[in-house]
Amino acid sequence: MRKVWRLGVPLAAFTTLAVAIAVMPRYLSGFREQQAAYVGIFTIALLGLNVLTGYTGQISLGHGAFMGVGGYTTAILMTDHGVKDLWTIPLAALVAGGAGFLFGIPALRLSGLYLALATFAIAVATPAVIKKFEHFTGGGSGKNLFGKPELTGSLGPVHLFGHPLSFYNWLYYLVWTIALLGYVVSWLFLRGRVGRALRAVRDSETAAVSSGVSLARYKTLAFGVSAAYAGVAGSLYVIVTNFVNPDTFPINLSIFLLVGVVVGGLGSLLGVIAGGVLIEFLPFWAQDHSKSPGAPSVVYGVVLIALMVLLPSGAAGLVRRGSDVLVGLTGGRYHRRSGDE
Amino acid sequence: MANFFQQVVSGLASGGIYGSLALALVLIHRATGVINFAQGEMATFSTYILWTLTANHGWPYWPAVAFTLAVSFAGGVGVHQLVVRPVERGSVLRVVIVTIGLLLMLNGLTTWIWGGSQHTLHSPFPTRTFDVGGVAISIQDVGTIGVSIGIVVVLWLFFQFTKVGLALRAAATNPTEARLVGVRVPWMLGLGWGLAAVLGAIAGALAAPSLASLDPSLMQAILIYAFAAAVLGGIDSPAGAVVGGLLLGVGLNLLGVYVDFIGADLRLPAALAVILVVLLLRPSGLFGKTAVKRV
Amino acid sequence: MVAAVVALMLALLAAAVAVAGPGRVSADPGVTPTSILLGGTTPLTGPAAAYASVARGANAYLQYVNARGGVFGRKITYKYLDDAYNPANTVQQTRQLVEQDHVFAIFNSLGTEQNLAIRDYLNAMKVPQLFAATGDTSFGADAATYPYAIAFQPSYQAEGFLLGKYLARARPSARIAVLAQNDSYGRDLLLGLKRGLAGGKAKVIAAQNYEVTASDVQSQVAKLKSSGANTFAIFATPQFAIQAYVYADRLGWRPFVVNNAVSSASNIMVLASEGGKNRDVIGTVSVVFLKDPTDPKWKADAAIKLYRQIMARYAKGADVGDVYHVYGMAVAYTLVEALKKAGKNLTRDGLVKAVGHLDIENNPFVLPGIAIKTGPTDHFPLNQVYLQQWTKSGWKQFGGLLTYKGQ
Repeated sequence: MRKVWRLGVPLAAFTTLAVAIAVMPRYLSGFREQQAAYVGIFTIALLGLNVLTGYTGQISLGHGAFMGVGGYTTAILMTDHGVKDLWTIPLAALVAGGAGFLFGIPALRLSGLYLALATFAIAVATPAVIKKFEHFTGGGSGKNLFGKPELTGSLGPVHLFGHPLSFYNWLYYLVWTIALLGYVVSWLFLRGRVGRALRAVRDSETAAVSSGVSLARYKTLAFGVSAAYAGVAGSLYVIVTNFVNPDTFPINLSIFLLVGVVVGGLGSLLGVIAGGVLIEFLPFWAQDHSKSPGAPSVVYGVVLIALMVLLPSGAAGLVRRGSDVLVGLTGGRYHRRSGDE
Repeated sequence: MANFFQQVVSGLASGGIYGSLALALVLIHRATGVINFAQGEMATFSTYILWTLTANHGWPYWPAVAFTLAVSFAGGVGVHQLVVRPVERGSVLRVVIVTIGLLLMLNGLTTWIWGGSQHTLHSPFPTRTFDVGGVAISIQDVGTIGVSIGIVVVLWLFFQFTKVGLALRAAATNPTEARLVGVRVPWMLGLGWGLAAVLGAIAGALAAPSLASLDPSLMQAILIYAFAAAVLGGIDSPAGAVVGGLLLGVGLNLLGVYVDFIGADLRLPAALAVILVVLLLRPSGLFGKTAVKRV
Repeated sequence: MVAAVVALMLALLAAAVAVAGPGRVSADPGVTPTSILLGGTTPLTGPAAAYASVARGANAYLQYVNARGGVFGRKITYKYLDDAYNPANTVQQTRQLVEQDHVFAIFNSLGTEQNLAIRDYLNAMKVPQLFAATGDTSFGADAATYPYAIAFQPSYQAEGFLLGKYLARARPSARIAVLAQNDSYGRDLLLGLKRGLAGGKAKVIAAQNYEVTASDVQSQVAKLKSSGANTFAIFATPQFAIQAYVYADRLGWRPFVVNNAVSSASNIMVLASEGGKNRDVIGTVSVVFLKDPTDPKWKADAAIKLYRQIMARYAKGADVGDVYHVYGMAVAYTLVEALKKAGKNLTRDGLVKAVGHLDIENNPFVLPGIAIKTGPTDHFPLNQVYLQQWTKSGWKQFGGLLTYKGQ
């Protein structure tokens, strides 16, 4: 019975979610679809960051830079080499993942605050470096993808299973299909031995080493995988925005990604979507509700501090606690997996 | 050749500012083990207070400085007690997020209260410049270097020879045993934050006239250089912070002039490369002690 | 447990959906018999926040016009969003303005990279991109490819050219060192300068760049001084222009200075002069096309009086001495004239046509003699300036009207 409970419920939940996502565009205007696509993009990035920070306990304030690597890979391949946008996505994943893996090697020697500082340094430096190599990256003006034939849907409706899709429609489905796939992949990736090993690293490095878990292998793996996800997110971001320049992936983005994964609930895959909603919508809500510049930042800051002080395990932790209460009341018993907060 | 010395002199001056802010970072790290990402914004906020007192309310300079330092001290203590203490014991991640929240909040607050446009802050030093063999040395620069070194000396004296300083050191290195001897540890840690806020205010008061402008982004780049200086000198060494700052200031200037590829475009990434290289090769920096991890 | 989380997710998504506005399709969106909706982006925060006054000034003027009945009975609403000078934000926000708010036109969006990032999109959607606040030459030069986009201020190349011509004529022995921002704004000014100098003896002998994200330009100025130049061209935005003056002074360098229009506002020059102690500021030459509200010459001027009244009424608390507010009013005035010309039956194409055939001789906010003209072969509304020189008592115009005839 418990086995059915363990597999059946997540599967049913996932299917419900997938269906909801598939059906939603019917109720959304084109612009809202675009916003929903951005939510999906941030969700993908957060899925990756979740592997690194949630499961392996490594802090990264630099994932915006990995998104940038993926984004620029796509832009350069599309504008300078005529590669169709869809093919650039796995390439972006590879390049960003490679960069993450390479960074993971020296990062083995850093942890906690020092890792935060080092990744912060990378995020701040990346725009300047991108600008420097301008013959390659287009410098400050960046790269414009609008109307290019390599961009699917830019020259006319896209036909999927015989249905014509508008540009935003197409982007929405592209992003969310990849997001759901990414979710499944990371779920499979994390449920077995790898997930346990990563969590062991998070909980206590010394203990992990003593039980035979190779820190080097799993830390670099976590960096590589999370960077690959970020690369895909960056690639999709450029495809949806039709534009990239060095300021597209600033340090604020890296900060908000970390915030998104912490607020959504570390170690919880579903809280990640909540994080994506937060990153996409908070700036819009903040702007709409305050005429004075600067006020939105104050709100973010206060909300962040309040959340950290009052709600240590983030939104998903709150929900988990709530649902635990529910389950307890109905007389059931849920076996909590070790390592989840 | 004159250009070389010119770059050295101006490098020392900017390095003095990096070092002053780095000192604040080091102080907080030694006291509470936290890297305060909001240090720059706290300094900017203090600088704005100084500016508004002198420019908008007609206060004379030195009383305004005294008031600003006092307010900054109180602010630093307040921030520690209200915001940092609840999460100090928790995971590193929570602490990082809290200081980042503080960064966002203060940056927005500065823009909200005072707007985003340019202002200038009165300098405590006269703006005369001496010409020494083709090299222009301004009193401003000399003063900045002097103040930075002066602060380190004062702090050293404070920590070595006063009871409060000793208590602070005890609370930072060994809180449990310090408690046993009667040290009010939480208040000592708050004191550390207050002092750091004062240092940040001084850094800002030096930076604004030196950069000839004041706007909300005043300390954003300087914070990065301060991180580099602190890491270079050793994140737990106050003297290291200032020496690191001076070295960094001069080094970046010379690199910028003599290595064309880096020039001015890659000055910031060069500082960040310093952070990365030092963290990877010698994490304790030039003057720090290597930490031993207890199992 | 998971079900509870899913319910939460669905609730969140439903909330997002619920906020979705209904799609509104009409002949030309954003215009009704009683209203016109304009949208734009401006840096209200971030490194370029000083330019926010451009939107504020324009908005104040439009509200003044509304109080007088608007244009053909239509009141104008100008919705401007903060893109923090980040072009990726500009893209998203412009899409929001066009597709969700259904604005009639994009007006007065600020920034070169920012306007370039949205130009293809607006052109494809046939949404007018009016009076983009940028001096980038391509907004006038590419009119055939981008008929919906037009700028306002004299182009940076024009400005550089006229400064170069002045130096070639008035200071033929000039050896010029240039500090330029590392983007198309800085590059255009330098290019124009070189073209203006062509054929004369004055030359550019050194040039240094800086990034917008730099903290200071001290080492660049030091390098420029060591080139032995006797003339300093500052092609930098206000924050860095001030630094350029201050560092030149500190280094004991006394060149003749030319400064670009964007950084020549009186309040910037006053800041740079460090309470009168900085001698490098005196004698600076720059171009000017707007009336400076702090210039005593315009104290009794009807237009500046009107400007002050409008600021007091519709932009309370803003700095009246900030010339960017005047710019905003100048461009809003031009927009209103264009709307009048487009007629009662207002369409996007009609407005674009009106904007392409402007002939305004009496915009009260620009200097007397300067005309705002566009035509089939001239897609630059402003290409006339005066020269001015900074003295101890502020800017003094000299010489006659200069007209730039290039592209």
